[in-house]
Amino acid sequence: MSISVILMQLGKGMIVTAEIFFLTLLFSLPLGLVIAFGRMAKNSVVSLLCKIYISIMRGTPLMLQLIVVYFAPFYVLGLKIPNYRFPAIIIAFALNYAAYFAEIYRSGIESMPIGQYEAAEVLGYNKGQTFFKIILPQVIKRILPPITNETITLVKDTSLAFVLAHAEMFTLAKQIAAKETSIMPLMIAGVFYYIFNLIVASAMERLEKALNYYR
Amino acid sequence: MEEQVLLTINHMSKSFDSEEVIKDISLSVKRGEVVSIIGPSGSGKSTLLRCATMLEKMDRGDLIYLGEPAAWEEGGKCVYAPKAKLREIHKNFGLVFQNFNLFPHYSVMKNIIDAPMTVEKISKAEATERAEKLLAQLGLSDKADAYPYQLSGGQQQRVSIARALALQPKILFFDEPTSALDPELTGEVLKVIKELAKEHMTMIIVTHEMQFARELSDRIIFMEQGIIQAEGTPEEIFHSDNERVREFIGKFQA
Repeated sequence: MSISVILMQLGKGMIVTAEIFFLTLLFSLPLGLVIAFGRMAKNSVVSLLCKIYISIMRGTPLMLQLIVVYFAPFYVLGLKIPNYRFPAIIIAFALNYAAYFAEIYRSGIESMPIGQYEAAEVLGYNKGQTFFKIILPQVIKRILPPITNETITLVKDTSLAFVLAHAEMFTLAKQIAAKETSIMPLMIAGVFYYIFNLIVASAMERLEKALNYYR
Repeated sequence: MEEQVLLTINHMSKSFDSEEVIKDISLSVKRGEVVSIIGPSGSGKSTLLRCATMLEKMDRGDLIYLGEPAAWEEGGKCVYAPKAKLREIHKNFGLVFQNFNLFPHYSVMKNIIDAPMTVEKISKAEATERAEKLLAQLGLSDKADAYPYQLSGGQQQRVSIARALALQPKILFFDEPTSALDPELTGEVLKVIKELAKEHMTMIIVTHEMQFARELSDRIIFMEQGIIQAEGTPEEIFHSDNERVREFIGKFQA
């Protein structure tokens, strides 16, 4: 089997991998912010629940979480959800990554000097205006390096979706490798992940540079 | 025109944990008055300012701006007015911080126009016009597009004064406005405050600059251990019979 044929067959998997990547970011970045707020909430019940959530999500394997999210509706509730495989993958990834992002947001928010809040308060900004206009933009600049790290990990973690036998990049590469008894498809998959991450890293670097207009 | 009282503080007390840092302080400030608060570190000057600007909640006492109570005592506890009312009352005063607290991600211009646009909902054109006047007045016209990190400490403090003035407060509080500055940069900030005094801006200034307080103030308050130890015109304070006042001022004139 020639490289171009392998590439053709892997092509669809690449698209699915990219889908998992972007959808996970789309849902986990805002969800992480909500969880970070919960974690920092004055209400101790809310704060504790968020702390436990983060602890479980970070303390158990993502692969296990994928399996649980996929099979729990049927085993626990007896529900058969049609076409649930892909949504289950996105839900599991988003829930898992939101926990990591929540802690990154929290570290950024808590590192902001109190003076910024006080200045905004005295100028008459309300809480929402203070957060979205004054605090969050500065937090984003501070947390970009750890966010980049997580994002790069996510690109590679998408391969875990193979446990649910979804036809993403890694699953396909393994199948083709087994069928053709060739290491080539796996090598190509590796190159794909690497290039994907090069693009992610350089995009994030650009973003960091763009935010360097102030200190 | 009758002299209008802008700020009244009655029997203010404030404790942190079990330590009482403000003990039953009463004070009122009339329109156009410049009041300096001096005293040793830990005397409660900054806490008084932070309670007056509602950055800290006082434990007991009344806080009244232009006859509108922001907080009052009820059943031995201090009750604050509802949020909407406080928002209105907030518009009466501005505060200049010791370490500026400019918004680093905003240009000088944006630092000044953002609050009027966000809080007062005035148009960008109007806010910009106001800001340009202030920048010219404070000698910062060429810095409108700069970012705070590109400015010296003295320039940053002048921007923060402009930011506070852009909301057209009736009273401007200063919390040790020159304490974070090199001595050579202190002068330019003090000059700006003196200009404001000439325009009869009502100001309450916590400061360690004795000579400045003496030249500028209508009234000086000497605080120590959470109480007002002495209060009077600069001449009265600088020639006070009070032993502690003499000792404190003496240290600065050495």
